[in-house]
Amino acid sequence: MQQNFGRSLDELKNIVAFTDDFFARGDMDPALRYIVDLCIEEIFVNMVTYDTETEADILIEMNPHEHGIEVSLTDFGVDRFDPRDAPPVDVDAPLEQRTPGGLGLYLVLKMVDSIHYEYRNRNSKITFIADRK
Amino acid sequence: MFQIGFDSPGRVIAQGRLDAAQAPHAQEFLDAVNEHCVIDLGGLEYISSAGLGVLLRTHKRLMGGGGGLKLVNVNSHINDIFMYSGFDRLFEIEVAG
Repeated sequence: MQQNFGRSLDELKNIVAFTDDFFARGDMDPALRYIVDLCIEEIFVNMVTYDTETEADILIEMNPHEHGIEVSLTDFGVDRFDPRDAPPVDVDAPLEQRTPGGLGLYLVLKMVDSIHYEYRNRNSKITFIADRK
Repeated sequence: MFQIGFDSPGRVIAQGRLDAAQAPHAQEFLDAVNEHCVIDLGGLEYISSAGLGVLLRTHKRLMGGGGGLKLVNVNSHINDIFMYSGFDRLFEIEVAG
């Protein structure tokens, strides 16, 4: 299943509806739903916020993968950004040293079973797999 | 759908999905809170890093004045996110029974 989404946070509710549809059709494990929702939102919001050199839609693809789900988000005509290179977050830091930024991709890297990055012809594709544990 | 409002003085209820689209609304509401506050998250289904940022920003501001946020009725999914984020060491958290 795949669908394009505009570069707006207003699209988050439509992405949730798209994910609802995939989980219902694919008889997916509902235990994976939170991870999938969170990781899609964090990656999508990162693309919308930082890949400002394009107005192209973002493509989201979902496919069953063994005991779970494989999700890809592709941003077209943008600079390279491998989420695995995101700066680390010190979650043990005291309150006065904590800042709101940076947690999104940290959570993605922490929660998915695997993540893959592909950059070709200025198209940036992030794929993650969430499997039933 | 996300809703936030006062349940009683010093006690806030947040319900629904607190994502990046709803975070500005939550921040605007919590910016008006000026003393120690309990937030009942029993009806909160989902929170992303944008929502975590709202809680962290508010907690830091209130702690500066001797108050803070206490998070109660936290479901297991959201508690997992709090633990991954280190929030269990920053906030007083009560998990839903």
